[in-house]
Amino acid sequence: MGVSPGDRPLRVVLGEDSVLLREGLVRLLEEAGTTVAAAVGDGPSLVRAVMAERPDVAVVDVRMPPTHTDEGLRAAVEVRRLAPGTAVLVLSQYVEVTYADELLADGRGGVGYLLKDRVTDLDQLLAALDEVVAGGTVLDPQVVAQLFARRRADDPVRRLTPREREVLGLIAEGHSNTAIARQLVVTPGAVEKHTQRIFAKLGLAPDEERNSRVMATLAYLRG
Amino acid sequence: MTTDTLVMPSVTAPPHSRRLRRVLTDSGYAVLSLPVGVLFSAVVVTGVAAGIGTVVVWVGLAVLALTLLAARGSATLERAQLPAVLGHPLPRPAYLPAEGGPVRRLLTPLRDPQSWLDALHAVLRLPLAVLAFAVTVTSWAVALGGITYGLWDWALPQEGNEDLFELLGFEGGTSLRILGYTLIGLLAAAVLPFAVRAVAVLQAQLGRVLLTSRAATQAELGRLSRGRDAAVAAEAVALRRLERDIHDGPQQHLVRLGMDLSRAQRQLDRDPSAARTTLAEAGVLAREALEELRALSRGIAPPVLADRGLAAALAALAARSPVPVELAVDLPGERLAPATENTAYFVVSEALANVAKHSGADVCRVEVGQVGGVLRVVVEDDGAGGALLVPGHGLAGLADRLRAVDGVLTVDSPRGGPTRTVAELPWA
Repeated sequence: MGVSPGDRPLRVVLGEDSVLLREGLVRLLEEAGTTVAAAVGDGPSLVRAVMAERPDVAVVDVRMPPTHTDEGLRAAVEVRRLAPGTAVLVLSQYVEVTYADELLADGRGGVGYLLKDRVTDLDQLLAALDEVVAGGTVLDPQVVAQLFARRRADDPVRRLTPREREVLGLIAEGHSNTAIARQLVVTPGAVEKHTQRIFAKLGLAPDEERNSRVMATLAYLRG
Repeated sequence: MTTDTLVMPSVTAPPHSRRLRRVLTDSGYAVLSLPVGVLFSAVVVTGVAAGIGTVVVWVGLAVLALTLLAARGSATLERAQLPAVLGHPLPRPAYLPAEGGPVRRLLTPLRDPQSWLDALHAVLRLPLAVLAFAVTVTSWAVALGGITYGLWDWALPQEGNEDLFELLGFEGGTSLRILGYTLIGLLAAAVLPFAVRAVAVLQAQLGRVLLTSRAATQAELGRLSRGRDAAVAAEAVALRRLERDIHDGPQQHLVRLGMDLSRAQRQLDRDPSAARTTLAEAGVLAREALEELRALSRGIAPPVLADRGLAAALAALAARSPVPVELAVDLPGERLAPATENTAYFVVSEALANVAKHSGADVCRVEVGQVGGVLRVVVEDDGAGGALLVPGHGLAGLADRLRAVDGVLTVDSPRGGPTRTVAELPWA
């Protein structure tokens, strides 16, 4: 199922406080052919487990004990600081743009932020894991929608056509031109033209490398 | 422990001494008001006239402001006396606070409507003060003079002096004169309390209207907004708790259910028996999620309350209680306001939950009925007592809920029991 960088299975450390969901995620990830190296229930344990196991990716729930607020998110930021080679996929029951801001603040890839609901689509979960492990960025469509929603009135984003906005949203979610073309049922060339027009309207440098393109788009959207 | 109870002080002095105190209070008030009234009405009339006359050279504004401050002094003096005369406490108005630069501070009274009412009162009270003074002094003089007339009749020179009765055409005579004047004195003494009361109350009512009715409105607004704040706070706490409960309960079950179904989908081709196990587990999860939802919706007003009213909802509540409940509901056929029904329902629901959790009671009694214009809800148990109204605790939340509908919660729960929770809500 393409879940291996090289030929070994993907190694995952999981942070989720609810036993019910932790167990479910472990089974799901193992069913998908990954190795769950450790599954813990709070932020500090997650950081320790990542340092000990050095997994390919840490999957983290935002709300964990002891504070039950953004414990998991802070652990994720800590993991990115202490173990830059480890990708991070944050799962959350709700979308909070500020959480996405904090995750994206260091401007590097290898990070994802998804609603927990997406986890129930196994293919989507695996695709997201592959993407972040490969150094890409994955954002939940709802996060991107919220980034759009908080634009100011005089924002150049408002000058984009509906189709261009759609393409911009898909770029922000982390999709390649080919993937966008497939999703919108157009040719990659058409997407390429859209992309160039969007970048010109927003005054962004068109970048061929996909993740730096995503980061530029997000940096712009986050204002 | 008891909170939010209204205590009405009962007057226990014997009736005759109470009546004497009332007459003396009224008389003192009526007599004093003349000098005070003359002084302040002179100051205010002069000050306002001088102030308006010199407004064009700005000095007038300062004169007016100082005059209004003098009127405020008069008003403060009057407000201090009103409760004794009218027999009940009165609210004090909030004056505009002086802030800003010195000029702005000085002119603050000019912008305050209450200041102008104070000035109006200082002027309008004068005629009433004259009347009160005259009636009071005359009544006392006639009463005291008449009753004691027999003691000093001898001291009056009688030659060339026609007394009242001779003028009326009676045969003159010392005994008739003494008898007549004494009777007049007694009559005046009998009328005096009522006459003095009338003029004192007349003047006091003018003061009440001009000096305190704005304050009463302000106080009412303040009370309403405090009630609204309590309602908002109670609502926010309840919503936060509900959000947490949903997150920890049904939402997790449903997410896990989604995961397991997704897993089962993959297992179907490869390992159908594993898929069957996973699906069976998923079924259990779905049932548990439903159970959680049902438990949560119990914290929200149940459908039976909206559909069938308070009595039916309370009966359902009583039937669910693990501690046996004696329920006595005496309500009219028509429905109460939804807010009232909800609050009454939650009082009983929370109280019964506490009884079940903490009291160790064997039996519990719930009484709901109309008592003198209020809906009275009483929950009583024979348990261990010691319930506290701690902020953040269920009972304190209940007190907030009640304040929101202008109600009062009283919890009487001595250590060792029993606990008696009484809620009184406006009948609406």
